Amino acid sequence: MSALLDVLTENLDEFGGGLWVTLRLVLGAFVIAIVVGTMVAALRIAPSVWLRRLGGIYVESFRNIPLLVLLTMAYAGLRRAGVPIDQWTAGIGALGLYTAAYVAEVLRSGVFAVSKGQIEASLSLGFGYAETLRRIVLPQAFRTVIPPLGSIVIAMIKNSAIIGVSLIALNDVLKSARLVQAETFKTEEAFLWAAVGYLLLTVTATVGFRFLERRLAISR
Amino acid sequence: MQKMRWRWLTALVLATGIVTAAGCGDDDESSSDAGSTDTARTFEAGTTMKKLQDAGEVTIGVKFDVSPFGVKNPTTGKVEGFDVDLGKAIADELGVKAKFVEALSDNRIPFLKDGTTDVILSTMTITAERDEEIDFSDPYFVAEGRILVKKSDDSIKGIDDLAGKKVCTALGSTYEATLKKQAPKATVRAVDSYSDCLELVQNGAVDAESTDDVILTGQIIQDDSLKLVGEKLTTEPYGAGIKEGDTEFLAFVNEVFQKFKDDGRWAKSYEKWVGQFTGEDREPPTMSLKEALALST
Repeated sequence: MSALLDVLTENLDEFGGGLWVTLRLVLGAFVIAIVVGTMVAALRIAPSVWLRRLGGIYVESFRNIPLLVLLTMAYAGLRRAGVPIDQWTAGIGALGLYTAAYVAEVLRSGVFAVSKGQIEASLSLGFGYAETLRRIVLPQAFRTVIPPLGSIVIAMIKNSAIIGVSLIALNDVLKSARLVQAETFKTEEAFLWAAVGYLLLTVTATVGFRFLERRLAISR
Repeated sequence: MQKMRWRWLTALVLATGIVTAAGCGDDDESSSDAGSTDTARTFEAGTTMKKLQDAGEVTIGVKFDVSPFGVKNPTTGKVEGFDVDLGKAIADELGVKAKFVEALSDNRIPFLKDGTTDVILSTMTITAERDEEIDFSDPYFVAEGRILVKKSDDSIKGIDDLAGKKVCTALGSTYEATLKKQAPKATVRAVDSYSDCLELVQNGAVDAESTDDVILTGQIIQDDSLKLVGEKLTTEPYGAGIKEGDTEFLAFVNEVFQKFKDDGRWAKSYEKWVGQFTGEDREPPTMSLKEALALST
């Protein structure tokens, strides 16, 4: 048991640094995922068929390509094309845009949960499309999709581990474990601590979403 | 009806078996004159050599993307290179098939420990630290640590110029420590493989790559817009890795290597994979394991 603890205490800098990198990656990607995901969801339910199609193309392309391929294209691909993108922009951007596709789909399902009557009522009262969406539909949609959104965020935190494995090679939690493993050959211990690192983040996210859920719940 | 169903099931099982067997066959190299019972040596029961002979194959971990030591030929699908030649020599001596699996810098030692591979021949430098986890053969090749940059880059002429620059190397290689010590102000990017490093140098994400000269030379053969700079940083004796404590198998591997060096196969293999590209002649290494280990401490 103490040998297990030693691996952590002797490599605290490495593991701590990894946790900090992963935290920044997922926070950045979360913001992008929510913002872009909301915009794409709006496209998906827009009155114009072309806008709906545009949203559909976004969701299908980002959801149907493996994250590792997206990350490689965002980094090596763009750099080859002459865009001097750095590790952080490529990592956060690709993870955020990838997750946004799932967020958009969940939001869309939330929008469908708002009864059509409310939208008709809003429109007949003189609200425009954007206003109806912003004031009537989306607040209710967000509330109903909080549980599935929580699942998406947890999946995103775990998916972030691929960034360290890809060409982007940021020193995140998983990478820190691999660096410790390479240095000390203590494979099981290093990866166990990586699991603990990810658990810290995912459990925090779970608690946060449960709080939001309770806070925003409609009393029934 | 019941009988019919059984027949289908049997057919399915057989088909799966055939497909699997065919699939596994891909990386198997039947050694030239192995298998014929009159040349195969006999070993005492209980030794690793006997076990491997009974199994009919020896699993060898090599690199799949490090030319000219272990690289998967895209045309034939076979793995080839200097390390692969040595692996075949071991299999030939046992009279069994050599099965090559990919071993990366950071999973090769776990592979030996958990029995995934019997031998590791993946450009692995002998170090005292690694020697505590596994056993090393005598050095079969001695490489030198160097730095690779783009030909167009005049700002890096040696290790001292790496301060403030980004340098790529493989995760789990000796160069992580070497760079930390010799170029403490450089930013080290540790990736999975040297082919990843090559991509990062080519697309400008890093300024330089540091590893063994022979690996870097292999990359320059592929892309002549790259060059080596500076003096040699380190001496890197390569050893075969085997499971810790298996002294009989270690002695056997050393014997195979000694024969390989003595009978001219080493020189032939060197010329084929390295010499003809670099124009440089090299003798088989005479360095002992003890000397190799002393280098790293």
